[in-house]
Amino acid sequence: MDGLHVEGITKSYGSTTVVDNVSFQAPQGKILGLLGPNGAGKTTILRMIMGITAPDRGRVVFQQGSNQTQGVPFSSVGYLPEERGLYKEAKVLRILLFLAGLKDVPPAEARKRALQWLRKFGLEDCANKKVEQLSKGMAQKVQFIAAVLHKPKFVVLDEPFSGLDPVSQDLFKAEIRALASSGAAVLLSSHQMNIVEELCDEIFLINKGKEVVKGNLQSIKERYGSFRVDLLCSAEQALRFDSGLVEGWEKLDDSRFRCILREGVQPVQFMQSLPADLALRELTISRPSLHDIFVQVAQGGAQHAERLEDR
Amino acid sequence: MRNAWKIASWEVLRNLTNKQFIFGLVITPLIMALFIVVPVFLERMNQPSEITYYVVDELGAADTLKELLPTHVVLVEAEPGSDLRELVLSKKGAGYFLLQESFVTTGQLELFYNDSNSQAVSSLRQALTALLQQLRLAGSGVSPEELALLTASAQVQQVPLKEEAQPQTMHLVVSSVFTGLVYFLVFTSGTMLMQSAVQEKRDRMAEVVLSSISPRELMQGKIVGHFLLGLIQLGFWLALGLPFAVRFLEFPILEALRAVNLPVILAFGLGGYLLFSALFVGLGATMEDLQSAGNAQSIVIMLPMLAFLFLGPVISNPNGSIAVFASLFPLTSSAIMMLRSGFTAVPLWQQLLSAALLLITAFITMRASAKIFRVGMLMYGKNATPKEVWKWLRYRES
Repeated sequence: MDGLHVEGITKSYGSTTVVDNVSFQAPQGKILGLLGPNGAGKTTILRMIMGITAPDRGRVVFQQGSNQTQGVPFSSVGYLPEERGLYKEAKVLRILLFLAGLKDVPPAEARKRALQWLRKFGLEDCANKKVEQLSKGMAQKVQFIAAVLHKPKFVVLDEPFSGLDPVSQDLFKAEIRALASSGAAVLLSSHQMNIVEELCDEIFLINKGKEVVKGNLQSIKERYGSFRVDLLCSAEQALRFDSGLVEGWEKLDDSRFRCILREGVQPVQFMQSLPADLALRELTISRPSLHDIFVQVAQGGAQHAERLEDR
Repeated sequence: MRNAWKIASWEVLRNLTNKQFIFGLVITPLIMALFIVVPVFLERMNQPSEITYYVVDELGAADTLKELLPTHVVLVEAEPGSDLRELVLSKKGAGYFLLQESFVTTGQLELFYNDSNSQAVSSLRQALTALLQQLRLAGSGVSPEELALLTASAQVQQVPLKEEAQPQTMHLVVSSVFTGLVYFLVFTSGTMLMQSAVQEKRDRMAEVVLSSISPRELMQGKIVGHFLLGLIQLGFWLALGLPFAVRFLEFPILEALRAVNLPVILAFGLGGYLLFSALFVGLGATMEDLQSAGNAQSIVIMLPMLAFLFLGPVISNPNGSIAVFASLFPLTSSAIMMLRSGFTAVPLWQQLLSAALLLITAFITMRASAKIFRVGMLMYGKNATPKEVWKWLRYRES
């Protein structure tokens, strides 16, 4: 498969293991969402992929046809880091040309593309402005341009939407989709779950340096998106449910219970199985969103996620 | 190395189009010129104006005394019995005194002064001493010529045994100025390099740049770039300063420049730059901003100043053991060796040993700095502690 292969990378600082045996793939033409709570190890993973730091174990391989390289070649990477900035006193076009030059884009070609991109983002008037004169959103667009100007085969976008207004967000979304359909492997890291759900083909969720959930977003939804039932009733009654339809019960408080329907069980099936004499005070059947899965992982930690995984 | 060049040319271009840099480029020689011109000007302004002393002459020696005094110290004879105090105060004289017989016998004289001018008093004292000697010898038949012979001070002329050891004041001055200029550049370039690393972090550009090139290339590029900037500054100042110096300073500066040991100055200037740039670029990577430098960081910033401690001993005894030590010790050797080369013929073995030590130290520092740099450049929000830096130094390199 063309694209990025991360194979069992591990990184420790002193006695703390920041990234623990993580493997995933980012195929070209797809958008992979790298998710995880703050401090989960995302930035460290990104830096290891980029070759900025070296993993203690494992390796990062980039495949292009029959050509396989250890690590991603500098000229193939586009990187929009979470910690954002540009040389404040330098002019926009000059920075873009400098960064494109570092990626070996010929100056004339770089200039042409830079102007095209600036026009696309409505920034053609800013080409000779200094960065310090730009608004935050404008600077972010310039940085996005810098990340993709050299037509990278692998793009890493760390929180690309933070601080953007809805119109610019839509613009970015369209451009990110266009990048993927032009054949680039896109690795998107974000906390904005709605956007991730909207954009990503695949998800990789980590917590405390360990892989928690990964795979195709649709299949994750099918796997973890089994219907969730919240009930408000008395304890003895809750225990009388048909255990063939539901997973184990979870007691939220004295009268509140939660269960997950077994795979393939439809809500109607479950409701038909309810005892007629059930003193039901409340019943909610819902499907966990990516947001829910993320929050569960972040709050419950890896153990909870492992339980999800085991099911 | 190609990527390092890209960084170097970016650093050069970025600075050359930066108002602050241009300002510094122009303003520094102006300030230096100011430091040279203003004292000269002040000295001229300070030309002694006429100072008047009144004297009541009972010895008939006033005319002799007048001849012994410099022209700006004027002696006016007053009538005996007049109110000298009133006279001095009303005419704004500097003071008055009486030339009496007791002066010849005791050598003592009271100077009543209105305005104490130490220069004038010292001229007066010299003239009175000479007068006293003449008056006392007048009776003994010694002629003024014999007196001059008797009171002449010894004159010592220094003759060097080897021709190249000949110290010529002019050469010393030019050599020292040149050394100072080169060292000043080493220091300012180092500081700018440090700022550039800090700025890279502050502007959050380090990560983007490091996704295109290796930390080593970034560091090399910065070092080379600021070296070129230093050369540009030096060239600019020389182009500006030399014609000025030739025109306004009254010695043949071009000839003196030829006498300066240029190879030694350039070699040790470069060596010093390599060492201190490596030190400063690594230091910059450990800092969040220049204002919040910690104690350990401040000490490192001061290291190039260490050479100044040795200036006195080296100048007074350029071949003494302190001078030899300071020109071998890598942290001071670049400045001291450049300076010494202007004062004396430094033995070849010292030059070679010193250069070797300096290069080895620069190389080790460069290696250590590269390790600090690659971790430090990606650390945001705080200054690194010495403990952390020590930990970085022990990380294995990928």
